[in-house]
Amino acid sequence: MELVPWKKNVPNDLWDAFDDLRSVMERSFGGFGLPDVTGLLDRTGSPAIDIIETSDEILVMADLPGVKKEDLELNLAGTLLTIKGSKKSEQNSDKRKIFRKETWVGSFARTIDLPANIDNEKVDAELKDGVLTVHISKKEEAKTKAISVRVN
Amino acid sequence: MNKNAIPSNERLLIPPCSIDEDIGIVTLTLEMPGVTKENLDVRVETNTLTIEGQRVGNSPTGEWLLRERPVGSYRKIFTLDETIDRNKIEAKLADGLLTVKLHIQEAAKPRKIAIN
Repeated sequence: MELVPWKKNVPNDLWDAFDDLRSVMERSFGGFGLPDVTGLLDRTGSPAIDIIETSDEILVMADLPGVKKEDLELNLAGTLLTIKGSKKSEQNSDKRKIFRKETWVGSFARTIDLPANIDNEKVDAELKDGVLTVHISKKEEAKTKAISVRVN
Repeated sequence: MNKNAIPSNERLLIPPCSIDEDIGIVTLTLEMPGVTKENLDVRVETNTLTIEGQRVGNSPTGEWLLRERPVGSYRKIFTLDETIDRNKIEAKLADGLLTVKLHIQEAAKPRKIAIN
């Protein structure tokens, strides 16, 4: 929030019209209209994913709060990794009054394309504290190797 | 000084929260992935319920090919109604989902009065 009024330097600058339009657009669509919570599906309808490439493996991390191990399905076909799953509602009572509903229940799927140098056979996945971590080893020839330099 | 201030290099995340009431129990459900029991703080002060949690294990070293998961600390503060029993608050953390059960005081529950 800016408290200092912005002053025009050049009177009747043509670009001001664009600036005004942009600020109106930002005010209408950016920030204000969107919820500021950071949930499972508040982005684009699929869980948030991190992909990190280290010297010998590819690490995929996804936020899946409330998703149980048995409701999660992981598929690796070639370089395509699919994370599929569902989250069930814990309780179903007719007498229950709902005041606010921000957490999410339902099914989701997301497919990501991984780099070509991965080894399909060496995959390890772990679901802990609502975060899925998948370790995929790189092919031996793709791993970074330290080469010692001889000095004559 | 604001005692609730968080370090400036950390983003404050507001966990999504669902609130429902079922026969005398108000249940709060918050999505907090990456938070362990040790990094979670749930406390009650006179009439506020503060829930704070730090995400752990979020920064491996390597090249980021995609980065969508938020980094920061979760915090949510609720104001408790007088009808909530302060001594009967249960919290459970499982699979990145925090469930807080607040019991409504016996005296505040609706009572049926017999007519003589």
